[in-house]
Amino acid sequence: MAGSSEISQVGGEPGSLGVSRSGILRRLGSTYRSELALAVAILLVAGVVSFWSPQVFSYGNISNVAQATAPLVIMSLGVLLVIITSGIDLSVGSTFSLSGMVAGLVMLAGASWPIGCLAGLVVGLAVGAINGALVTFVGLAPFVVTLITYAVGASLAFVITDGHSIALLDPSFYLLNSGSLVPGVTNYVLFCLVGTIAIELGLRKLVLGRWVYAVGSNDKASRLLGIPVTGVRLGVYVIAGLLAAFSSMLSLSYISNAEATSGANMMLQAIAACVIGGASLFGGTGSAVGAALGAIMISVIQNGVNLIGINSFWQGSVTGLVILVAVLIDRLTKIRA
Amino acid sequence: MSSPRLEFVLEALDIEKSYGATSVLSKARLRVAQGEIHALLGGNGAGKSTFIRIVSGSLRRDSGVITVEGREHYDASAIAVVFQELALLPELSVEENIHLPHRRDAFGLIDSRAMKALAAEALATIDPPLVRSLGRPVSSLDLHQRQLVEIARALSSGAKLILLDEPTANLTFADAERLFAILRRLTARGISVLLVSHRMSEIRAIADVCTILRDGRSVVDRRALADISDEEIVQAMMGEGQEKTLSAAPQAKAMPAGFSLDLAKGDIAVSLPAGSILGLAGAPEGPAGVMDALIGAESSSAWSIALDGQPRRFRSPADAVRSGVGYVSGDRAEKGILATLPILDNLAAAGRIARKQWLVTSQEVREAASALRRLSIKASSLDALPQTLSGGTQQKLLIARWLDLAPKILVLEEPTRGVDIATKRDIYQIIRAVAAAGTIVVWWSTEFSELAEICDHVITFDLQGEVSGRLDGAEISEVAMARATGMAA
Repeated sequence: MAGSSEISQVGGEPGSLGVSRSGILRRLGSTYRSELALAVAILLVAGVVSFWSPQVFSYGNISNVAQATAPLVIMSLGVLLVIITSGIDLSVGSTFSLSGMVAGLVMLAGASWPIGCLAGLVVGLAVGAINGALVTFVGLAPFVVTLITYAVGASLAFVITDGHSIALLDPSFYLLNSGSLVPGVTNYVLFCLVGTIAIELGLRKLVLGRWVYAVGSNDKASRLLGIPVTGVRLGVYVIAGLLAAFSSMLSLSYISNAEATSGANMMLQAIAACVIGGASLFGGTGSAVGAALGAIMISVIQNGVNLIGINSFWQGSVTGLVILVAVLIDRLTKIRA
Repeated sequence: MSSPRLEFVLEALDIEKSYGATSVLSKARLRVAQGEIHALLGGNGAGKSTFIRIVSGSLRRDSGVITVEGREHYDASAIAVVFQELALLPELSVEENIHLPHRRDAFGLIDSRAMKALAAEALATIDPPLVRSLGRPVSSLDLHQRQLVEIARALSSGAKLILLDEPTANLTFADAERLFAILRRLTARGISVLLVSHRMSEIRAIADVCTILRDGRSVVDRRALADISDEEIVQAMMGEGQEKTLSAAPQAKAMPAGFSLDLAKGDIAVSLPAGSILGLAGAPEGPAGVMDALIGAESSSAWSIALDGQPRRFRSPADAVRSGVGYVSGDRAEKGILATLPILDNLAAAGRIARKQWLVTSQEVREAASALRRLSIKASSLDALPQTLSGGTQQKLLIARWLDLAPKILVLEEPTRGVDIATKRDIYQIIRAVAAAGTIVVWWSTEFSELAEICDHVITFDLQGEVSGRLDGAEISEVAMARATGMAA
């Protein structure tokens, strides 16, 4: 807590026009103030859990949590982009299930795992494109559009295998998740890091990224400024679909069993991750680092509930409480600023 | 309470309000007598909006006393506010809007007969023809009529004081005149009106008394407008010797001279050389046609455009921006500011499009910082949100977007709407500087005085939005514009 007062001092520094190079750490500190607070909060939650169950900080538990979080982090990054444009994507959970089933079917037919994954990603691309097209060209509300694709996707995931799960055959498929493209770093960690940093930098440093915020902030003003509002909207739904499919591939590679219900809980968790990470459902705000931390927070809570030995039915309630706290803190700090 | 005090409908004394360490109001004082039209004046950031919200009961004061008709405990409905953004429910009928929350009979059901009668009575005192629209949804009314519905709502709930915040900002001249006539009629019935406006001419035309706020204090407390000159009012708003306006004209980036813009519709044609300022005067529909064609908002506009003699038709705003057309709207919230983005993005947004930039560069940070300095905009940081600036300063920000781009054409849609006098002067200076650098400025304003002061040419439109004429150089005057637009002064 001593740290946070120091940070707020930096934020209130008058006349800083952000051009000085020396203050880059302080600047990062003030830019990522709420993300830092969230990281501290995650540690606090883990710390509280450790009173009951000291193994929360054990290597084994941490890597378990990380493994379980990775798909959610990837999916949340896509949902975040949609939320920043003041849209919503309810279909990502279904896309997760459906793309997993399609990839499984393709591999069952004898294809190698890269081909299977490609097929899964095509499903994500297609669902994203349908979402984006209905929102932009037809002009339907994002909630309605993605409610439709959520329902259809979820049912198709059952239809294509008649509800049966598929055990995966390609023995080298585990490499996608558990291999090490970069020596010393397991792939799922790598994907989360690269994905989060890429989206974060893209949002901050690419003009395209600034447009995502601009569209969510004021789409009429954006249009009059010449920002390609339709293209930006279409783009974020496609990326959300692709990332949902990719997160499914990652999870599939780990579990090596495709199930029609695999993504059922993930949509709400992904949206929750974005909100905990500081994104507003009204659009125009949010960060990739925040969304990733939000996803981690959700997993840490689930893990904590398990470790303490509380009935797992309570998980949702605890997560809900954390969302409430996160939103309230966000609101309070904004009023003061 | 002693008897002479009773003549005041509203007395707000020593009102204080601060947010944390920032004091917004200190010793603010407002006394409104029965049956008068009272103007509340002050620059952007003087604390007017906070004061209004406190007086109307939507914000808690830190200290101070408010009495209505001498009583400290009064019915909140005695003071009614008609805000700039009207607070009506568009899908409900006029009648229902007047009676929100619904009047209920003995059984807790909506008593529609009583509602209708009361609504009709309230509307009849304001605008008899409008009584026929009682059953229509509010969304089918125009802005002026919606305002009247709000006033009717205030009357039927027993308001003694009606507070109007910039009531004419979006009205046509004729509707504004009608509104003023109605307000005068209300004062004759003993209702008081508190008017917030930045338009000197209309304040002079309608208000009896003024109170002026500066830095949260009432520097002028109840002066008859007849006893105070425009210069004194400006002095009071700005403070002694503390000229807030830009000391020097901000330098705009010079652009290659010698291009031209031709505008034509039917048999009206204007040819504008680089650096000229064209005013558009008249009912909004007419100027909107010209502006939409210029900014690419409406590709089917009846106006044809030629740049350097080459006919052009902008397919989209992006097309127009890339061809060197800048646009500033007076409707900041709806069409200008990116509220959740830092000041830096608000400034750099147009440049990124015009230059087809892919990356956020450090050059734009430098340019943005320099633009703020040149326009003497005091921001705590480029990372701050625009809402930390006053309304007038936000407006300067929207203009500043274009200054480093040397646009060929700058289209201004009421850029001084809701902006205080000092900021208006700043904006005039910026417009002159931009034109001096070679940009052609096309400017719609409902304030003829500012057009007369600055424009080289003016196209006038009649009440139906059709072109009614063209004024050049010495022909341009408020009277000539009023005549040509059918808005007789």
